[in-house]
Amino acid sequence: MSEHPTEIKLHQQSHLLEITFDDEACYRLPYEYLRVYSPSAEVRGHGTGQETLQTGKKNVGVVEVLPVGSYALKIVFDDGHDSGLYTWEYLYALGQNQVEWWLQYLDRLAAAGQRREADCEQELTGGCGGGCGHA
Amino acid sequence: MSFNEADVQAALKNLIDPNTKKDFANGKSLKNIVISGNDLSLDILLGYPAQSVWKELSSLIETHLKSALPGAGKISVNVSSKVVPHAVQQGVKLVDGVKNIIAVASGKGGVGKSTTAVNIALALAAEGARVGMLDADIYGPSQPTMLGIDGQPETDGANFMKPMTNHGLQAMSIGFLIGTSDTPMIWRGPMVTQALDQLLRQTRWDNLDYLIVDLPPGTGDIQLSLAQQVPVTGAVIVTTPQDIALLDARKGLKMFEKVGVKIVGIVENMSTHICSQCGHEEHIFGSGGGGKMCADYNTELLGNLPLDIHIREQTDSGTPTVVADPDGKVAKTYKQIARRIAVKIAEMAQNHNAVFPKIVVQNT
Ligand SMILES: Nc1ncnc2c1ncn2[C@@H]1O[C@H](COP(=O)(O)OP(=O)(O)O)[C@@H](O)[C@H]1O
Ligand SMILES: [Mg+2]
Repeated sequence: MSEHPTEIKLHQQSHLLEITFDDEACYRLPYEYLRVYSPSAEVRGHGTGQETLQTGKKNVGVVEVLPVGSYALKIVFDDGHDSGLYTWEYLYALGQNQVEWWLQYLDRLAAAGQRREADCEQELTGGCGGGCGHA
Repeated sequence: MSFNEADVQAALKNLIDPNTKKDFANGKSLKNIVISGNDLSLDILLGYPAQSVWKELSSLIETHLKSALPGAGKISVNVSSKVVPHAVQQGVKLVDGVKNIIAVASGKGGVGKSTTAVNIALALAAEGARVGMLDADIYGPSQPTMLGIDGQPETDGANFMKPMTNHGLQAMSIGFLIGTSDTPMIWRGPMVTQALDQLLRQTRWDNLDYLIVDLPPGTGDIQLSLAQQVPVTGAVIVTTPQDIALLDARKGLKMFEKVGVKIVGIVENMSTHICSQCGHEEHIFGSGGGGKMCADYNTELLGNLPLDIHIREQTDSGTPTVVADPDGKVAKTYKQIARRIAVKIAEMAQNHNAVFPKIVVQNT
């Protein structure tokens, strides 16, 4: 794969990263999708079947994105996660397989009895307080 | 029998591009597969300019797909070319408006470096590429004469010059600024590198796929500092059988290696003599020198040109052979060499810096 992005737009209200590649392919990737498919070792584990299922990321935001060398992006999410290096190749694959991978994620969530919505008790920080709206 | 995208990809895996010797099924060239009912259309994007063979390639691919996909109805393959920027030496600033720089060099003067450079430039342009010529040969700027361009460039704002144009090329030469017929100027090192940096970076190059740089001959300090200061995608070395014998060309190869510039290959000029009376071709200086040198240095012999009086007459009168006699044997050789250079450059690593994405944050 040799495609390179020519433009990256962060739509901060709609929580979408819009990425255009030099073959003119353009993908709109929701922050939640990017977050739960983070390529970091924390999420991916060490090989297939070792992934840690990410849950409750429906409203995750992006604080900033930083270039890494000239081959990847580091995405800093507002839940503190920033250890994933999204290479151009991986972002391209995320775009190409968006529907399929998203459905797979929803299946895995359902199978684990988990939800996309943040759940206070499970937040590591525990700092959810009254703001989260959950009982 | 119906077919899907994977079938199309599998079929194209078995078809080799005669120019690159690679199949067409890679992500760089195969685009926009559309299957509707039994009809199929797709785009093939070549990384090298090849306008003259687009039609030929598209019917080659269509014929192949027809036999590989028996159930297919209408098949239409749209072939085109797109040249992208490729990597240069580390730490050298790129030039605005220029995707790739090809440096043409030689170990000494008079070997036909400028003749080769201009004919390669015209051959690339004939294939639909946007091409510029920068004549950096301060010792003997000959591109104004070879391109048949007179006069001085116009300025563009306070700091820029517009390139001169002829035969479809954009051109800038030290000769436009100092004149070609005067007594040669005496240059000191820093003056040269400064003057050339200006010619390179203060010319308003207009969206060039390739800028060909005709470097001053030799392997001294001036050449070395130029090789370090110009962001070169690849260098082509022009030799004659004599200077191969004298090891000048080998010094040229080493110089580029030292500064991290990739060598695209070697052109052997005047390796045979074409008799102007009978057209007979003979090896006057012994054969095989260029081939041996390439083998020694693990580079490619891109081609050889005969010593042919027509090359001299045409080129020195402002209409180089590739435009004067575009279908002749010599022009064909130049075109093959140019094609080979373009294909090799297309295979080099892409310049990721040049296409580093803008990052925009929006409140949407
Ligand atoms: N293959 C050739 N056959 C005949 N004459 C040639 C050939 N190549 C170059 N020349 C002529 O030789 C002279 C020197 O060539 P030039 O390209 O100016 O050399 P350089 O740039 O290396 O100094 C020119 O008059 C040119 O027309
Ligand atoms: Mg010259």
